[in-house]
Amino acid sequence: MARSDLLQGSLDLLILKTLETEALHGWAVSKRIQLWSRNVLEVNQGSLYPALYRMRDRGLIESEWAVSDEGRRIKVYHLTSRGRKALENERQSWRRFSGAVEAILAT
Amino acid sequence: MNWLDPIRRISHLLRREDEAEIDDEIRFHLEMEIEENIRRGMPAREARQRALAAFGRVEGVKDEVRDVRRIARVLGDVARDGRLALRSLPKQPGFVLAVVLTLGIGIGGNLAMFGVLDVVWFRSLPYPEPDELVLGRVTYEEEVGYTVSGPDFFDYRDQARTMAGLSALTPYPVRVTITGAGAPERVSAPLVSTGFFKTLRIDPLVGRHFASDEGEPGGPDVVILSHAYWQRRFGGDRDVVGTAINVDGTPYAVIGVMPPGLRLIVDADVWRPIKRGENWASARQFHNFVLVGRLGPGTQLAGAQAEVDVISHQLADAYPDTNRRKGLNLTPLREALNEGYRGTLALLLSAVALLLLVACANVAGLLVVRGTARRSEVAVRSVMGASPGRLARQLLTENGLLALGAALLGTALAAWLQKAILLFLSVDGVGPVQVGLSANMLGVALLLTALTVGLFGVIPAIRTARSEPVAALRSGTRTAGSRRGTRVQSSMVLVQVALTSVLLIVSGLLLRSFNQLQRVDPGFDAEGLFTVEVALPAGEYQDMARRAQFYSQLQERASAIPGVAAAGLINRLPIRDGGGNVRVAPPGEWGSEGVFNRLAYQRMVLPGYFDAMGIPLFSGRDVALSDDRDSPPVMIISASLAAELFPDDNAVGRMLGIDVGEDEPWTAEVVGVVGDVVPSSLASGTDYTMYFSYVQRSPSGMRLAIRTQEETTGLLPPLRSITASLDPNVPLTGAAMMEDVLAASISDRRSVMTVLMAFAGVALLLSAVGLYGLLAYDVSRRFHEIGVRMALGATVWSVASGILRRGLVLASLGLAVAIPLSLAAGRFMQGMLYSVGNMDPATYGLVAVFLGVVTAVACLLPARRAASVDPVEAFRAE
Repeated sequence: MARSDLLQGSLDLLILKTLETEALHGWAVSKRIQLWSRNVLEVNQGSLYPALYRMRDRGLIESEWAVSDEGRRIKVYHLTSRGRKALENERQSWRRFSGAVEAILAT
Repeated sequence: MNWLDPIRRISHLLRREDEAEIDDEIRFHLEMEIEENIRRGMPAREARQRALAAFGRVEGVKDEVRDVRRIARVLGDVARDGRLALRSLPKQPGFVLAVVLTLGIGIGGNLAMFGVLDVVWFRSLPYPEPDELVLGRVTYEEEVGYTVSGPDFFDYRDQARTMAGLSALTPYPVRVTITGAGAPERVSAPLVSTGFFKTLRIDPLVGRHFASDEGEPGGPDVVILSHAYWQRRFGGDRDVVGTAINVDGTPYAVIGVMPPGLRLIVDADVWRPIKRGENWASARQFHNFVLVGRLGPGTQLAGAQAEVDVISHQLADAYPDTNRRKGLNLTPLREALNEGYRGTLALLLSAVALLLLVACANVAGLLVVRGTARRSEVAVRSVMGASPGRLARQLLTENGLLALGAALLGTALAAWLQKAILLFLSVDGVGPVQVGLSANMLGVALLLTALTVGLFGVIPAIRTARSEPVAALRSGTRTAGSRRGTRVQSSMVLVQVALTSVLLIVSGLLLRSFNQLQRVDPGFDAEGLFTVEVALPAGEYQDMARRAQFYSQLQERASAIPGVAAAGLINRLPIRDGGGNVRVAPPGEWGSEGVFNRLAYQRMVLPGYFDAMGIPLFSGRDVALSDDRDSPPVMIISASLAAELFPDDNAVGRMLGIDVGEDEPWTAEVVGVVGDVVPSSLASGTDYTMYFSYVQRSPSGMRLAIRTQEETTGLLPPLRSITASLDPNVPLTGAAMMEDVLAASISDRRSVMTVLMAFAGVALLLSAVGLYGLLAYDVSRRFHEIGVRMALGATVWSVASGILRRGLVLASLGLAVAIPLSLAAGRFMQGMLYSVGNMDPATYGLVAVFLGVVTAVACLLPARRAASVDPVEAFRAE
């Protein structure tokens, strides 16, 4: 299975995206990235949690404790309105960036 | 890619986030990962490894080691660990309380004993240049005794050149009666040589020093007052210097007052000079003084000792009869004063050290259990990149904080304990003892804290930090790997039981000695015996007949008090007043070699003494008032002396000579033989005693012994009025029941024993709790196993007895370790034991039984819990 490392800065965007529609716990965030990238991208905890905490400190996401379906205590993250704005900005700048890269590669 | 550097990021998190929450989150993540891997069909082992690999902790560890700014980081770590510990400790109040209390008692006990040592052993004597002072004591064939004779002292003083001063002191309160202004009063008036205060370099507060002619025969009679007595009797009036006070009926000029707090060996109200050749200093065989010397500038102790050795040889040549075997030993004063406490202090210090070890073992056991409970938390941190060393440091910081808390408690405890112990030990010293926390003690507290952390904290911290993270996470909190934990915990309990047993056995030996001492037959019936001292002012009672008349009248009237069965008079009561032994031999053997060492206590009695005391008269008769100066001298001897001197013959009717400090012995006829008594201390037992008729040899002070039917407290007022009607200037002092006198004579032993037993009790409590903790933990760990066994048909009894057996095996092992240790300790303290060997089987047996009972009690709860395991519940819990 071929896997790619994440580019610096892109992890934040991916986390914001996974949280766009629902609140998730850390493990689900990493799984969802893996799933949506069709197993191309994989995030390990060593970078996921620092990113989550950093983003929370910057006010992009918030966390709260909840109980899972199996009755386990879990910590779930959801977007704040700042996070939503940041997601839009990041999405646009990523698209500009990747479009530019695509354009160069297509020549 | 440096943003992947997990250490920096995670430690960044740790600073802000509540640690436990991160743990939970990460563990949850890891578990989900593992579960998923297993669902995908991986074997459990691989599933775990994969999940961990996703953490990428290997790089983290390497980076940490490479870090060049390690020292800065370590310091940062310490601060962070401290913060972490401060946050996590309050969440476990029970544990913290147990540790702080246990260690606090251990540290407090040691600190208090150090405080005692500090003020007793290392005290600085309250005299200028105290290290120059030496104590001079007599030696007999190199063996150090105590008191030196007056004439010998004068020879040493006049001939010694190396010392800047050599003086003498009676080491006991020589009681005198002060009359004149106010009520007659018995006070302590030790005799000192005229240079005594100059040797100590203490100058009078008011007035002057003794002049040298005041220590020569025929010199003026003078006294110097103590500050306390000056305040008490004269209200601190400076004009009292230059006036005269009546000492035993003789006027003495007051020449000075000493500064407050001055004390050496004996309490003094007034000091009188020793006069060469008079009363206390009359003969070379009467040893009444200890010497205090001051080494001259630049003189070593050895030099001074060599000089007095030369003088001793000259004296031996000049006076072979008395000085053939005598010498003088010089010892630094402080060392000599401490000799009496050496054994006791060493014993109590060893005991508190053992107590601290027990406390440390107890806490170490507790930490091992807790370490097991915390394994998952530690494991999470470990997979997040913290190295075992780093984790151990953090756990150690926590332990350090606990010890610090314990040290605070211990210090508070020590301040109080030190006072209590000093009160108990009744330290005889020099001036007031300064109690309270000193800088030294605080230093020692820190040292003890560090030592304690080393003893209880290091091993559990390393063990916990090293736990295998995967197994820990997998298993949640229990079962796997905890067998080793229990083993460590078991050995900690073993250590506790062993050390506690040593303490129990040692205090048991002391207790048995004490019981034996209490059972010593003093030779008289102490029950219902009231005693009081009645001293006649010697100056006004020069006439012997007058003294005898006073005392016989007193005896007669005292006997008539309602409730009084008998009254007797003696100059020195057994146990209470030792001393006064002289050489004795039949006149024919006088001067032969064997006579030299046969000493007997001499006592003066009035008729009726033996009857009042309940001392049996075996043969012959009591002394009578008719045995006076005009009739031949008589004496009564104790049975053991009779057996020694006249083994196959009746002693009654034989003549005996006693040493009165003259060339010829004083001879008297034995008219009676009485039962033996214990003349001085219970521990030294009965001894040869001779009784003389008061009328034939009459000292001025006597003690009245009154046997009463029942009521004793009301005896003093009628006695006072009787005495006052005979002579208002005669004081009654030192009233006491003989039973109290007996108890007081062994109260030092009782104190040491009590303190030691308190230590042993605390150690026992800790060990019992430690044992209980081990077994309770064991039961909870094996909950499932016990459930299975019971489901398979094991009986309640077999389950419970298994627990009990485990406890008893541990206790037996501990006791087995303790026995050789206790034997060694017992040999070391042989001198404190009385008629009990260090192998005393009764003590060992009792301790074994006692330990067995306590062990059984400690096992009770865990065994009950094990027996009440419901198999169904045990399975469900799993």
